[in-house]
Amino acid sequence: MTKSAFLTDATICIGCKACEVACKEWNNVPADGFTWTGLSYDNTQALGASTWRHVMFLEQPQRAGPQIAGTSEPFRWVFLSDVCKHCANSGCLEGCPTGAIVRTDLGTVYVQPDVCNGCGYCVVSCPFGVIDKNHEDGRAFKCTFCYDRQKVGLMPACATACPTHSIQFGPYEELQERAKDRVVELQERGYTDAKLYDPKETSVGGIHAFFVILGEPENYNLPPAPEVPTVYLKSAWTSALLTAAILIGVVFAAFSFR
Amino acid sequence: MTVPGNPRGRATEERLQEIKRIAGETSLAPGAAKLGSHPQITGHDSYYGLPALKPPVWTWEIPLYFFLGGISGVSGCMAFVAHLLHADPGLVRVLLWVGFIGSAICPMLLIADLGRPARFLNMLRVFKWRSAMSMGAWILIGFSACITPALFANELILRGFDWPILGFLRWSAEAGALVTGLLLAGYTGVLIGATANPLWSANRRVLPVHFLTSGMGGASAILELAGFFVLPTQILGFIAAGVETLLDLKVELRKPAVDAPLHHGPSGIAFRIAGLLEGPGSLLVRLFWGSTHYGRLTAAIFFLVGSALSRYAWIWAGRVSARQPNVEFARQRAGEARP
Amino acid sequence: MPGLGTTYGRGGATSSPKDLTNADVILIMGSNMAENHPVAFQWVIDAKEKGTTVMHVDPRFSRTSAVSSIWVPLRVGSDIIFLGGLIHYILENDLIFREYVAHYTNAPVIIPEDFKDTEDLEGVFSGWNPDKKFYDPSSWMYEGVAAASGQGSGAAPDLSGYKKDETLQHPRCVYQLMKKHFARYTPELVEKYCGVSREMFLRVASTYCKASGPDKTASICYAVGWTQHSSGVQMIRCAAILQLLLGNMGRPGGGIMALRGHASIQGSTDVPTLFDILPGYINMPKFGEESKSLSNFIAKYKTRTGWWNNFDKYIVSMLKAFYDEAATAENDYGFNWLPRLTGDHSHQAYWLDMMDGKMEGLFVMGQNPAVAGPNSSFERRAMMKLKWLVVREMVETESASFWYDSPEVRHGEVKTEEIPTEVFLMPAAGHAEKAGTFTNTQRLLQWREKAVDPPGDCRSESNFIFNLGNILREKARRDPRPRNAGLLALRWDYPTEGENHEVVGEEILKEMNGYAVSDKKLLPGFGALKADGSTACGCWIYSGVFPVEGKNLANARNSNDFYGHGWGWAWPADRRILYNRASAKPDGTPWSERKKLVWWDAEAKMWTGNDVPDFVATKPPDHQPSADAQGDSGLAGDKPFILHADGLGWLWVPTGLADGPLPSHYEAFESPIRNPVYPKFQSNPVADRKSRALNEYANSPDQRFPYVLTTYRLTEHHTAGGMSRTLSHLAELQPTFFCEISVQLAKTLGITPGEWVTIATARGSVEAHALVTPRMQSLTIGDKTIEQVGVPFHWGYSGLVKGDSGNDLVAISEEPTVRIMESKGILCTVLRGRRAENTEKLCELRSKGAS
Ligand SMILES: Nc1nc2c(c(=O)[nH]1)N[C@H]1C(S)=C(S)[C@@H](COP(=O)(O)OP(=O)(O)OC[C@H]3O[C@@H](n4cnc5c(=O)[nH]c(N)nc54)[C@H](O)[C@@H]3O)O[C@H]1N2
Ligand SMILES: Nc1nc2c(c(=O)[nH]1)N[C@H]1C(S)=C(S)[C@@H](COP(=O)(O)OP(=O)(O)OC[C@H]3O[C@@H](n4cnc5c(=O)[nH]c(N)nc54)[C@H](O)[C@@H]3O)O[C@H]1N2
Ligand code: SF4
Ligand code: SF4
Ligand code: SF4
Ligand code: SF4
Ligand code: SF4
Ligand SMILES: [Mo]
Repeated sequence: MTKSAFLTDATICIGCKACEVACKEWNNVPADGFTWTGLSYDNTQALGASTWRHVMFLEQPQRAGPQIAGTSEPFRWVFLSDVCKHCANSGCLEGCPTGAIVRTDLGTVYVQPDVCNGCGYCVVSCPFGVIDKNHEDGRAFKCTFCYDRQKVGLMPACATACPTHSIQFGPYEELQERAKDRVVELQERGYTDAKLYDPKETSVGGIHAFFVILGEPENYNLPPAPEVPTVYLKSAWTSALLTAAILIGVVFAAFSFR
Repeated sequence: MTVPGNPRGRATEERLQEIKRIAGETSLAPGAAKLGSHPQITGHDSYYGLPALKPPVWTWEIPLYFFLGGISGVSGCMAFVAHLLHADPGLVRVLLWVGFIGSAICPMLLIADLGRPARFLNMLRVFKWRSAMSMGAWILIGFSACITPALFANELILRGFDWPILGFLRWSAEAGALVTGLLLAGYTGVLIGATANPLWSANRRVLPVHFLTSGMGGASAILELAGFFVLPTQILGFIAAGVETLLDLKVELRKPAVDAPLHHGPSGIAFRIAGLLEGPGSLLVRLFWGSTHYGRLTAAIFFLVGSALSRYAWIWAGRVSARQPNVEFARQRAGEARP
Repeated sequence: MPGLGTTYGRGGATSSPKDLTNADVILIMGSNMAENHPVAFQWVIDAKEKGTTVMHVDPRFSRTSAVSSIWVPLRVGSDIIFLGGLIHYILENDLIFREYVAHYTNAPVIIPEDFKDTEDLEGVFSGWNPDKKFYDPSSWMYEGVAAASGQGSGAAPDLSGYKKDETLQHPRCVYQLMKKHFARYTPELVEKYCGVSREMFLRVASTYCKASGPDKTASICYAVGWTQHSSGVQMIRCAAILQLLLGNMGRPGGGIMALRGHASIQGSTDVPTLFDILPGYINMPKFGEESKSLSNFIAKYKTRTGWWNNFDKYIVSMLKAFYDEAATAENDYGFNWLPRLTGDHSHQAYWLDMMDGKMEGLFVMGQNPAVAGPNSSFERRAMMKLKWLVVREMVETESASFWYDSPEVRHGEVKTEEIPTEVFLMPAAGHAEKAGTFTNTQRLLQWREKAVDPPGDCRSESNFIFNLGNILREKARRDPRPRNAGLLALRWDYPTEGENHEVVGEEILKEMNGYAVSDKKLLPGFGALKADGSTACGCWIYSGVFPVEGKNLANARNSNDFYGHGWGWAWPADRRILYNRASAKPDGTPWSERKKLVWWDAEAKMWTGNDVPDFVATKPPDHQPSADAQGDSGLAGDKPFILHADGLGWLWVPTGLADGPLPSHYEAFESPIRNPVYPKFQSNPVADRKSRALNEYANSPDQRFPYVLTTYRLTEHHTAGGMSRTLSHLAELQPTFFCEISVQLAKTLGITPGEWVTIATARGSVEAHALVTPRMQSLTIGDKTIEQVGVPFHWGYSGLVKGDSGNDLVAISEEPTVRIMESKGILCTVLRGRRAENTEKLCELRSKGAS
């Protein structure tokens, strides 16, 4: 089975939110709040248990590559549709004590709702702040990569709804290539701060939903150097076991006194 | 706030009414009104300062579980040692009971957190050594599997049954309780230390030390409350309080930005009070009034309250930490998030 | 869309969104295409990726601007100065596509001496009647052509007799008159009054004009950012003129993409929901001479040359479709059963009548005037004067609930008990619950199957109208007054299906397609229509969509070429690019390999190419009409605009527009400045302010209302919100009413981002959250700084998410030709805090009201 991937391209996103809505419609995920934020056009704010695609609206005091805009100060408005990264080494999957989170034959990370017991450990194990617990029914939810659709040969709902091909769906290798070429092309076209976001060099070891962005990852709340939390196990356990050993000694000593 | 989904069975009409109600309540209220100046994103800014990580979803049950697990775990360990060194059988008995009661309450707390008893069983579908949570589940099972027979064997022996098998069972069960107990008291530090939470992962080495120490101090404090004003509990009391004091000093002296939630805001206050009670507080009381029973009782209570509160403080501070994207991003940029 | 209709002959977008990928430059102005036509916009993105320069000229930095190559902010309502500037730039620097202009447009045509330009008369054209406030257009007519006097009867002018000077030198040829007319529209004028810097303007101008000539084309996209002005039609005229001067019409990647609104709004102008036209753009007979008899009527609209020579065939066939056997030659095919226009019954006008108690009842179907109507507060109060109101809806909209929860009722200005209106809320079937066609923005008819049965009592429009008709006819039978004769004469025998007895949609489509009266055999296209009553056709431009039984071309689903032939069916005759004869040189060969579309195949003696020729396929390029030739053969082989009696593209409109043969700039009814171009005429002299109580205006300028306000849409919602504010997944995306203001304005007024502000105009006030953003820019106009306030108009008082309706601020007014309100460009003031906190200030504003 070929590995699926998303390439989401901020430079051709028009911020229409069709992906966000299509996802909720297909997956029957509820609306999650009617609060107006005043943060540009983003009233969704973040991914969560009932938001699996989230379109960001960045208002920035700098130019969008070669764009000529009649603003008094440099200005650009960048959109990006965020989604679960389907990490190569995925914190949520590693952390899950029930085995509810699995790596599918498509290379994606899938939460089995019938196995999840709502322990919430994946929530603190995701370095991207994606997965969350639905406080209504107590289980954890996130993007399924439309496993159900893919299995019957359909594209994920979000990619299907995207009018501009800002969300590209396809085989991992192919999209990796396309992403690299895209960045080069954008650089040539004058988008000097165009980047591919795909943390390969850290312990996360790359993601299956990578992004072409302008500017810094942080601006999109994408961690610049995320680590899969399991890398902390060694030092933590070592400290625990050493302490335990010492503790035995101490107790032994203490009780040797009369 | 979440709006009701359409999970199985929900009458759509009822759901619509609920959505209407919620929409009515919220839609007219500005979320981020009073934004100060108009929102702009520059340099390495995070996305309008919105949280980039999810705060822990755990409520009061989990920190309480950490606290009790710590005490009962170390009690199990102490029971074996005390027994080995022919300590007062009454003391051993108390330790075994503390361990047993703790091991009985802990699963209940977890279940309370999960919502349904059946859900706890899902934990036992798999054994994942890479998942501290999975390990924890098995450790807890293991501990009760040891402490329970140990207790019953001990009780029977005290009641005069002298079948040799009982002796063997008590020894081996106590030995098991020593190992699993220490793991139970210590893994919780690993559990939150090995997460994506900036504060916790940054303190992953400190946390187990802290959790085990206060488990030990807690166990001996309970003994004192049970009236065992013996030398060993005094010593352990001093050592625990001493170590806690050192840990406090460490946190107070070197203040990386990621530790901010331990220093500022309500979570900071809670953490400091906890620290003072566990560390200097009980230490000084022991120093000056340790000769009197009241002094030792006070010190014990200080320590117990402190160590309970500190568990909340850590979870609380973790919640705050998850809401500080810029700190974490800077830390990652500086390579400080690397293992 | 008379702006395009008069210039080119047909009131429809001339190309298709996909064709935008062929453009070298795309100018988007007066439209927020990315937000309001996201699916069509994919082609703009594709074009941009291919290297096309996309320019967006818009007062706001919108989602369209964000992905455009160039964004130019301009002062609301100053478009004609900007576009006139472009025309001036082309004429001054002689950048016209000469061969195209000389052959295909009326630039060489000579205009008689007695014509006087706005330059001569300081702001009006000759024929201006200051008392009656209208134009007698006779002096605009070509030299040597007897003009039909604007009003009354008289025969259609025979334009073929025009005089011309192909060298464009004659001082009175259209080209020279235009040079003179647009002389004022200099880059300096643009800089000073649009707020667009000289170099920014010149950048746009040169970029745009470079995309012209045999090898290049540019395209223009617009929508209601242009139409909703008191001079809207003239803004569109400017664009139409630009495309002719640069030779961009009828060619790949050229044309004008008039982006339409509701899913089938094009369809509802083709088969109109408008008061003054009949299906296929046949005028509604006006009371008087012209409609005394069918022959008078035909005489008035049937031209000797050009396509409208077929007028008699189309109207007679239409009447046959209406009245079937009852329509005979003797009774003028029932022509006299058609109602006659006695005045202005446009959407704007009838609300005033309603307010004056001149209307008893109203059917509201697929509309929500309580939110979307200009001066919606006025319209709600007007509805309170009705005896009965029928609202056919899928949800209970504000228009159905105004009697108990409108602001007027909530603020205690009106008491529910005092409202006599009896409101009937009828459950309507949505588009997925009924079969039928959409005619989309590219004139494409697409058949839509029913996905699900409508719930409960929900029924389709056709079902409702059909049964309503049956009931009325039943009553009419019992009451044989002459006024009922027409109703009884109607062919009203539609077959129905299903347990809901839904009218079989395809039967209606067949009726529009047309059939032979004798054997009811379907007709292959409008070519087969006759004036002798032997054919019936409900809408001639749709003729051909259902050529034979069982062949519903609107339902065709295998596109077999770039232009999508084989998918759906575009009127007329499945032509995807209109006027495509112009894509070839006069001699019939393509202008260039890169831009070829249709051309003359000398061997086959046929026009062929990548699209269905918008031309008589066998008419050779060198065809020369005989003196008395009739209809299309009366037009030469190098005249692409076949609906015009002269076959030319009209830079100059000799007849058909109420406000002049050439566009000229007037300020909006409410403007922060005096008209810099024609100081004597502040606003469009022929436009109607409908100024009256509850529909007052601010002065121009007005110190009470210093800021310019414009209204618009957001992707997340649909117009009045009946289909978006009621759905949680959409409602949560833009959960409440807000306005957009510049950082500068927020500073001046001390407004913290996100807090409540109150916006007031001469009509009313609303409260909204302030979204402070650099996407709104303060502009320097003349010697002062102008602040513009952006107001999305989607909210109302029912639905999941609520908010004040921006339309409470807008005035009811009429553009002279299409009678649309001016909802883009009014004056307002902004106050900190909620309305309740500002009551005194608001009262003050009213009391000081001098207008
Ligand atoms: N998502 C969504 N799509 C829609 C609709 C919807 O409600 N929601 N409505 C549909 C309908 S009915 C229609 S008619 C179309 C309308 O489509 P659009 O015409 O794109 O709709 P608007 O947003 O009203 O106005 C477009 C732009 O005109 C700008 N504008 C305002 N005043 C001026 C001016 O004086 N000059 C210029 N040059 N620009 C000006 C506004 O800033 C706005 O960006 O959209 C259709 N599509
Ligand atoms: N200030 C300001 N005002 C404007 C505009 C602006 O730009 N600025 N734009 C103007 C424009 S371009 C337009 S088109 C109007 C739109 O104004 P309206 O057409 O009055 O508003 P809509 O919300 O589109 O109303 C359509 C209604 O039809 C219902 N509906 C949908 N499908 C069906 C159906 O199959 N049958 C029936 N019976 N009902 C159905 C929907 O629920 C919805 O309530 O607004 C105009 N008003
Ligand atoms: S992004 Fe988070 S939720 Fe998604 S796979 Fe990676 S760790 Fe799991
Ligand atoms: S909440 Fe569910 S998915 Fe997440 S870790 Fe626990 S069991 Fe696994
Ligand atoms: S892949 Fe499917 S589940 Fe994931 S965001 Fe897209 S639509 Fe939602
Ligand atoms: S659908 Fe595509 S274009 Fe629209 S917001 Fe999502 S990613 Fe962007
Ligand atoms: S709503 Fe329908 S008509 Fe409008 S853009 Fe989307 S698909 Fe096209
Ligand atoms: Mo519209």
